Amino acid sequence: MDHVSFRVARGRFFGFLGPNGAGKSTTIKMLTGLLRPTEGEITIEGHPLERDLLAVKRVIGVLPEELPLYERLTGEEYLLFAGRMYGLSPAEARRRTDELLAFLSLEEERGKLIVDYSQGMRKKTALAAALIHSPRVLFLDEPLNGIDPVSGRVVTDLLRRLARKGVTMFFTSHVLDVAERLCDEVAIIDRGRLVAQGTLEQIRAQREVGQDASLEDVFLKLVAADVRREDLSWIG
Amino acid sequence: MDRLILLVLTRWRMELRAMARARERAVGLLLLLPGLLFSSLFGAFLAFAGIRAVGHDPTILLPALSLVATAVGLSWILAPMVTGVALTESHDVSRLLHFPVPVPVLVAASLAGNLLQPTVLAALPIAAAVAFGVSQTPAAFPFAFAGCLLSLVFLISATQVSGLVIHGIARRRRFQDVAVFLLAGLGFTMSVVPMLLFSGGGRPILALLRSLVAHDVALLSPFAWGLRAAVYAGRGEAAAFLGWSAAQLAAIAGAAALSAALIQRIYRGEFELGRAGAQKEGGRAIMVFAGSIGAQVEKDLRIAWRNPATKATLVLSCLTPLFWLFVFTRMRSGLSPFTLLALATFVGATAFGNDFAQEGRGLGLLLGFPVERWRVLVAKNLAALALRLPGVAVLIGTGALLGSFALLPAAATIVAGTFLIAAGVGNYSSILFPTAMGRPGRNPFGGSTSGARGLAGVALGMLFFTSTLALAAPFVFLAWLPLLLGETLWWLLTLPLSFAGAVAVYAMLIAGAAALFRRREPELLERILEAEAEA
Repeated sequence: MDHVSFRVARGRFFGFLGPNGAGKSTTIKMLTGLLRPTEGEITIEGHPLERDLLAVKRVIGVLPEELPLYERLTGEEYLLFAGRMYGLSPAEARRRTDELLAFLSLEEERGKLIVDYSQGMRKKTALAAALIHSPRVLFLDEPLNGIDPVSGRVVTDLLRRLARKGVTMFFTSHVLDVAERLCDEVAIIDRGRLVAQGTLEQIRAQREVGQDASLEDVFLKLVAADVRREDLSWIG
Repeated sequence: MDRLILLVLTRWRMELRAMARARERAVGLLLLLPGLLFSSLFGAFLAFAGIRAVGHDPTILLPALSLVATAVGLSWILAPMVTGVALTESHDVSRLLHFPVPVPVLVAASLAGNLLQPTVLAALPIAAAVAFGVSQTPAAFPFAFAGCLLSLVFLISATQVSGLVIHGIARRRRFQDVAVFLLAGLGFTMSVVPMLLFSGGGRPILALLRSLVAHDVALLSPFAWGLRAAVYAGRGEAAAFLGWSAAQLAAIAGAAALSAALIQRIYRGEFELGRAGAQKEGGRAIMVFAGSIGAQVEKDLRIAWRNPATKATLVLSCLTPLFWLFVFTRMRSGLSPFTLLALATFVGATAFGNDFAQEGRGLGLLLGFPVERWRVLVAKNLAALALRLPGVAVLIGTGALLGSFALLPAAATIVAGTFLIAAGVGNYSSILFPTAMGRPGRNPFGGSTSGARGLAGVALGMLFFTSTLALAAPFVFLAWLPLLLGETLWWLLTLPLSFAGAVAVYAMLIAGAAALFRRREPELLERILEAEAEA
């Protein structure tokens, strides 16, 4: 990452977008304390990450792109474990687990080992674990990948409601129309550098693209994507 | 041929890079190399001296050499199950299957790639010594050596087949669970059988060996056909040399064809060895412990019980002390107090493990929770202690029954103290040299547990075991002292002192490890993810 600096206001749905290899997942790893930046400062909900890592971890929930779940626990056991690791009492962990399993349609699979879950079920389980302690900031790395359309709708509705209740969303996605529908504000990075930040209207105005330009048009212009139109020389 | 060379060079490059990125493994391998070189030269000396002692009597030399070759071959094939380290590498060819490369080329590349494995290189002086030993004239040596090399190539081909069978089994998660559990049991049985036989004196073994040599039972063993060719070459019998060489070549081709067939069947999902039972689905999950340490201990115990390798370890940890106690009672001296306390020291000191290996990718998850790092380490150690408790209880209980109940407190103190220190030392191993267990569906003996890296891991394990013994020595000595002085009443003072000292050292080790853990968190995670990707 190259001198990336941004601020996200509380309760905003913030989209962090960029092409492959731009540094989206690396940024999330740094913001959640899994990767140490060589320089600079990160402050989340008033807690400086470097000095007070555990305080930051208490207020954030993370849904990583790769899903490192404990595969030989059942979905229910995993949520009960996560609840207690976030400091919930066993009774509260049980209550929230039951509610999350029902909400995300995982109730029938509660006794099945995670190793036997489908990708979508794993995603929902990881999302449930990220929500169980009522985080004030949610980091969501490609949250809708691998989820069926019905569950996708349930998840996006839930995320919107959480944002309305003051939970800050830090969201990455390759699906730009989903980002356009959900995000109040976006930042676009390219090769480790921040190339734009603001609401879609602000970015359109800054970059002098038409008011009807979609996020995809703006994105392609900002990352200077060379969308090649010619054929490959050896393909007849 | 170009593609074959490319595949072999790519594999060697990947192997070198993997060692370069895990420098401690490179150092471990360097530490092990003198031992490997010594064992190679010693093996060569034994082979030469053995052959010359037997002379060129065909009635003994051929059956004896064949028997040894067969034993070596079987031990290489079973090495992953017995020791957890594969002596050669059966690398994952699934990433290469979408290229239009014929499967025989993949097989040949795998065989050629294994030629640079340290264990294969270490076998070359032994092959040369055998060839030298059986050659009656200098001119016969090249032919005899060629025969020995044919046997070696078959050995590598056969380990490739066994590696692929393991890989094939591993592709079905539930079946792999059962297979790993049973194979761990087989490994245990294989390792204790010689001890059990020798515990009653060497006579039964010698009688068995004589009978096997007399009946030349290894005649049909393809591990030895190249060696038989070498013996005939040494005597100048060209026809017999050519015949046995052809047989060995046919066996190599057969093994390679079997490998190719296995590769094709495994990756098309046609490798069905049987149906595993369906997973039982229970009712609501039960929480036993509260708090972050309790949650982690509970999680680790559940995962361990559901992981066949750790479940097997748990069962075997109860059997191992029984086995040793049985061996000691059959020895003339019986189970002396010193033996029991030495056994207690050994059981405690070998209890350390690379606790983050099981976490794998889950380590990123664990590090995401707002839990102090010392709590993570203590929880890991407590779970390890709980898993080893049945084995320790069996040892202390049966030891006291066979020896004396008066030794019970001393043995228990020694086990508890050395275990604590071993766990404390093991934390450093987990943080500094993390490894990852293979994920379900991947070769359980691939990546960091195979070939050169597997050997390096063994060297590191020996280093940590030695460190544990050094740190625990004063407290073990305190517990032994009254026995040495013949004043067992002193145990009232020395045993609490010994345990308190061990607890203090453990607390210091935990404090240091927690600080190291906080500093190395990102690097540790990166290394675990890399190791798991390779596994």
